[in-house]
Amino acid sequence: MPFRKLLRWFGRIFGRKKLIRLGLYGPPNAGKTTLANKISMDWTGEPVGKVSEIPHETREVQKKERVVVHSGNKKIIMNLLDMPGIATKIDYEDFMTYGMSAEEAQQRAKEATKGVIEAIKWLDNVDTALVIMDSTEDPYTQVNITIIGNLEARNIPVILVANKIDLKKSKPQQIREAFPQHPVVEISALTGKNINNLYDTIAKHSR
Amino acid sequence: MAVEIEFISSDMLGKKTEKEKMSYILERISQNKILVVEESLSYDEETKLIEETMKRVNDKFPGIEVSTLREKTEGGLRERLIKMLGGSTGGLTIIGPSKLVKKIKKEPQQISLLAGER
Repeated sequence: MPFRKLLRWFGRIFGRKKLIRLGLYGPPNAGKTTLANKISMDWTGEPVGKVSEIPHETREVQKKERVVVHSGNKKIIMNLLDMPGIATKIDYEDFMTYGMSAEEAQQRAKEATKGVIEAIKWLDNVDTALVIMDSTEDPYTQVNITIIGNLEARNIPVILVANKIDLKKSKPQQIREAFPQHPVVEISALTGKNINNLYDTIAKHSR
Repeated sequence: MAVEIEFISSDMLGKKTEKEKMSYILERISQNKILVVEESLSYDEETKLIEETMKRVNDKFPGIEVSTLREKTEGGLRERLIKMLGGSTGGLTIIGPSKLVKKIKKEPQQISLLAGER
């Protein structure tokens, strides 16, 4: 950890660091891949991954390298890292409610458990993190607290994304109240609402 | 339906390595017990617990529900001394099998837990 901090310090002082690894973290179905696709489509014209209403659609880290984002007169080059959703439980029977066979559901559950472990291991390999939350849900969950606590312990800048503000039940204020120590950007990854605010916040806070 | 709750002192876990601690917790949870631990897990321990849980997930054990009340963060002399000596200044962790724990609702200073058979 101290070595990592030293490297960052050198990077900042000598301005060598031009590429940031931007990790998209959060619980399943918060809209991480929808957001990764939105960012990637805006700046490269290509999506990052498949989106689904079934939880744990992303079961491996999906990457889009060297995405160049402009915000004002700033240019950020980033490797976009769309992480599998982090959860404390994965019940294959939940997948069966979406019409999967028991065998398919068990396979998906098995892959999803590996995805969670992979996402946790990647905590040591991101420079800035977006923690994406569904703003229609209670944000004060143990998974969100654990993700944010781990990022803070690693001194990684955190930007909270209050997603799904296009929905009537959206309450982004709850996220601000639960985690007042971090910037919160209210967006709809689906419609693109306020997405430029997110780019500005990434430009301001990332390192 | 009976629900078994075990209260575990921080002294008992304090003697264990991180790996032993995770194994101990998950072994008891797999016996369908809810644990109330007299300390807050560190963020690193929480991720280790999630990792170990994921390794054990199968058709009969889909995972856990967990919630932690953090220890006091006030930087008083007493707290700092206790921490320097390797002690804990409070906190609480509740962990249970997700098959048994229907819901955990957390607020900064309070945890409520709803348990029962599905």
